[in-house]
Amino acid sequence: MKRARACVLRVGGTNCDEEIKVALEELGLRTDVVHMDWLEKGDVHKYQLLVFPGGFSYGDYVRAGAVWGKRVVSKIRRDLERFIESGRLVMGICNGFQVLVESGALPGGDGAFSETPKAVLANNSSARYECRWTYLRCENGSTPFTSKIPVGEVLKIPVGHGEGRFIVESEELLRELIKENRVTFRYALPSGKAAEGAYPFNPNGSEYDIAAICNKEGNVMGMMPHPERAFFGWQAVGYGGPEGAGDGRRIFESIIEHIEGL
Amino acid sequence: MIFTVKAEVSLKRGHFDPEGDVAAKALRDLGFGVASVRVGKTYTIKVEAADASEAEAAAKEMCRRLLSNPTKDDFKVEVLGFEGRSG
Amino acid sequence: MKEGLVRSICKDPPILAADLREAADKDLVEISSAMGLALSLQEMKAIQGHFGRPLTDVELQTFGQTWSEHCIHKTFRGEIQTEGGVVNSLLKSYIARATMELSKPWCFSVFEDNAGLVEFDEGHVIAAKVETHNHPSAIEPFGGAATGVGGVIRDILGVWGEPIALSDVLCFGPLDIDYSELAPGIKHPRYIFNGVVAGVGNYGNNMGIPNVSGAVLFDRNYAGNVVVYCGCFGILPKSGYVKDTKDGDLAILVGGRTGRDGIHGVTFASTDLPEESEGLRSAVQIPNPLVEERLRRAVIRIRDEGLATGITDLGGGGISCATGEMANRSKLGLTVELDAVILKEPDLAPWEIWVSESQERMLLSAPERNLGRITEIFREEELESCVLGRFNKTGRIRACFKGATVCDLDLDFLYNPPRTTRRASRASAVRKPLILEKPKDLKVELLRVLSDPNIRSREEIVRTYDHEVRGVTVVKPLQGFEGGHNDAAVLKPLRGSWMGVVISCGITPFYPDPYWMAGCSLEEALRNNVAVGGRRIAILDNFVWGNPEKEDRMGSLLRACEACYHFAKAFETPFISGKDSLYNESPMGPVRPTLLITGVGIIPDVRRAVTMELKRAEDPVYLIGVTKEELCGSAYLRVKGVEGGAWPEVDAASSKSLMDALTKAIDAGHVAACHDLSEGGAGVAAAEMVLGSCLGMELDFRQMIHETTRSDFVLFSESQGRFLVEVREDQEEEFKKVFKGLPARRMGRVLGERKLEITDLEGGKISVDLEELAYAWRGISWN
Repeated sequence: MKRARACVLRVGGTNCDEEIKVALEELGLRTDVVHMDWLEKGDVHKYQLLVFPGGFSYGDYVRAGAVWGKRVVSKIRRDLERFIESGRLVMGICNGFQVLVESGALPGGDGAFSETPKAVLANNSSARYECRWTYLRCENGSTPFTSKIPVGEVLKIPVGHGEGRFIVESEELLRELIKENRVTFRYALPSGKAAEGAYPFNPNGSEYDIAAICNKEGNVMGMMPHPERAFFGWQAVGYGGPEGAGDGRRIFESIIEHIEGL
Repeated sequence: MIFTVKAEVSLKRGHFDPEGDVAAKALRDLGFGVASVRVGKTYTIKVEAADASEAEAAAKEMCRRLLSNPTKDDFKVEVLGFEGRSG
Repeated sequence: MKEGLVRSICKDPPILAADLREAADKDLVEISSAMGLALSLQEMKAIQGHFGRPLTDVELQTFGQTWSEHCIHKTFRGEIQTEGGVVNSLLKSYIARATMELSKPWCFSVFEDNAGLVEFDEGHVIAAKVETHNHPSAIEPFGGAATGVGGVIRDILGVWGEPIALSDVLCFGPLDIDYSELAPGIKHPRYIFNGVVAGVGNYGNNMGIPNVSGAVLFDRNYAGNVVVYCGCFGILPKSGYVKDTKDGDLAILVGGRTGRDGIHGVTFASTDLPEESEGLRSAVQIPNPLVEERLRRAVIRIRDEGLATGITDLGGGGISCATGEMANRSKLGLTVELDAVILKEPDLAPWEIWVSESQERMLLSAPERNLGRITEIFREEELESCVLGRFNKTGRIRACFKGATVCDLDLDFLYNPPRTTRRASRASAVRKPLILEKPKDLKVELLRVLSDPNIRSREEIVRTYDHEVRGVTVVKPLQGFEGGHNDAAVLKPLRGSWMGVVISCGITPFYPDPYWMAGCSLEEALRNNVAVGGRRIAILDNFVWGNPEKEDRMGSLLRACEACYHFAKAFETPFISGKDSLYNESPMGPVRPTLLITGVGIIPDVRRAVTMELKRAEDPVYLIGVTKEELCGSAYLRVKGVEGGAWPEVDAASSKSLMDALTKAIDAGHVAACHDLSEGGAGVAAAEMVLGSCLGMELDFRQMIHETTRSDFVLFSESQGRFLVEVREDQEEEFKKVFKGLPARRMGRVLGERKLEITDLEGGKISVDLEELAYAWRGISWN
């Protein structure tokens, strides 16, 4: 059993918490699923990893992830700031990515949070929910989330969302994200070349084929694809042997290696 | 007093609106001469305030803090009327 | 109506009373219709004869709900008069009889509860339920379909099951039908389609339950009668299945608030859709998956802590049916305090609270000592709950409101309604000769069939349903990046076990003979299940028929039920649950008799599950089964607009031995890919395997075991009991040994290039490259 501990947060409408717990526990990490309303002040500091999972938090009313995002700000912002500044890891998957963006934690501002969101995950260009496998090219292999994945390597991981089209508030910010190497995964063609917007390889029309980004320090990452759905080989029948591992496992392995060293 | 305020959140001009485009196409299929459709959301809010301008200011703050995302949305606020305490 | 029969006995709350004692027959009919009870004269007379006192509107509504077709299945339990004698209950004579006679030890609970339960492994059972939601979907497609999904999920929660998968089977009118062809009041199929698909997707996605299996059919007949089947599958520990409500236990209502939405959904589903159905919108329930997601968590927590003694969902008939059923099941009674119910709007009449079908509500029974902990769990999951009352030994269901008793009924009488009698005429299709010129170009014919809306790729729909959430979907509805359609879904529900649940469906409404149509639906469900590695299959039946009070509809229903009995027996697959939807009639006529059979199998090790995409060039390809000249109702003839010839029949003995051999071959690892032959026959199955792969296929139809005369017939015959199998090249000899003495023949091989090459019976060559196949199949019309 590992020393570190993970907390998978949930609220009403969250629904991918169990499979993330399964993935983390499979790698030996103690993992609690905790309703955000049950968190007492300071509780998050028991953990080295916080995960905001997928789902439809608060029914995705108003905007996907918006209500939970604002509740994070009003309820646990101080704790979360300290958590992030101490170098621990925060990960948002799918709805969790939307939550981190709506709360201002991603792309982030001068502190851990920007006062207003600087990006949004808008309706898919196809105007539909898209459940499909995607090819993800690793763009930065030196974050705590990607240390076991070399730059340029292509992972096969599925998406399932209606609002995943990542856009930032300005061209300038996009350039900054690219320059600072904060785009961690891009949607790609099977060859590993960027999808350049080509549907369905880029399933939602994201700018610059962005599938995942991190904050300046690299310890907060949000991604639309679901690595927990590509953790075991049997989840990916047809893409590898059922006995082996799925590509998503390497993201979790990177995370655990990092937090064990904290 | 309780004011009724209408807050309209819509996509910024020129911003890609897949839902609107699908609706436009469907309407054209039905034979309507539709050039374009933009989709927005309307919130009808009852808010307690001293006067109309305070109600408007409160609604604008609600839009800034939750109802809109500045990356893609514009919003517009309009005070529709009020109910006095006596009804 | 005679004056004074129905009068107000209380203004606040508003209560009406009807004195039936003095009522003439026509008054009874009028009261039933004025109060929206949908009870027949015979039923009204039974109530009249039983009571020596006036009845409140709450009581009459209780009969209206409890004795409805939806709740009590009076047609399936009734007496049927035929030329050949009397059939005493379709359910007992056919459907349940097969299950009884098969007497499989792994059937855990059948035809008793909200869902059928079969054993999974030593400690767990699988729960399965499929519902229809046709009428609500015709009126308000999004809400109707979404609440259909919500309702069937609650059926699984209602047996303490953790929902793990959903299925949906949808039948629409042609999406390009002209408005002028629709009867007044009928909505355009495009509108219904968009709403239904969005509704199914929305509810399942929001709940985080993968939608893994289904089918979509198009036919002019469904333009007036949309068909929406929703299925849900769950798993639970055997010890978690507790249905033992005790005297003194509390009845606890939890979930959404009660409002006017969905008042009279049940009686509405039991009559034909009138032309002015717009006015019935209040009968449609409003979906809120967010509440149901919290209900799911709370129910599972209460189950795992062992806090409750019983559970049931609130569906048709609302509180009246749920409380009555729970009390009746444990031979108890209950007094319900209607004042306790948390309302959406304040001014509901007592009868409205009593029968409201507001969504996302469950009823639990529990000893009082556990109330505190149960309420705490509800609070933690942000759910509202209230105590409705306490179970007692009276055998009566009572309801009080503002101090007055508004309902007081004897459960024995309520749950023993008068038997319905129906008449059935003889129903078999008449065979006509098949007159069809030989086609000039088989390739064009194949592309035409592939581009038919009934054959085309379903990707546009299926991608909008999350089929990966929960991370346990092993064989998915769409295979890989190519998106080929697998025959069945496989899920791995338990962390510590390789065992899988296999879910499939069979639906073949286009074969004109009701007996063989039912047989083929059943065989298809099994075939699909076996094709991916499923075995020990339990089945569910869902009949969608027209008005059973008409002899011809009843006649075909009877024949279909006979087939269900015969083939369930022959294949040794017990029915475990079912639901019928009758009265599917519209101004455009009765629905095409449609039987959905859902198969729930198991596979000992999900790593052995077989998908449909081709795996390796040079592997041999076998066709298993015999191809006969059975084209009536086939996709090929429907595309051509031709009727005639023989329809497919089922040879259960031969088909079963082939399925058993295939299972053996799959377990031994001989099978690399497998696809069943259904709509469109061998031609379409082969094309789909190529479309779903990065490889191609070469087939010589002269090698086929067939009893036909023409190349287009071997290509498109829809004979049952057939599979296309890619055999691992190095295991071909072992594979042949497994199929020794059975009709299995090597037809060709897998090609490295993505194309389909066919040699027809005359030795003519057809070569179709991937692009041509894909254009047709992904929706470019080939006409």
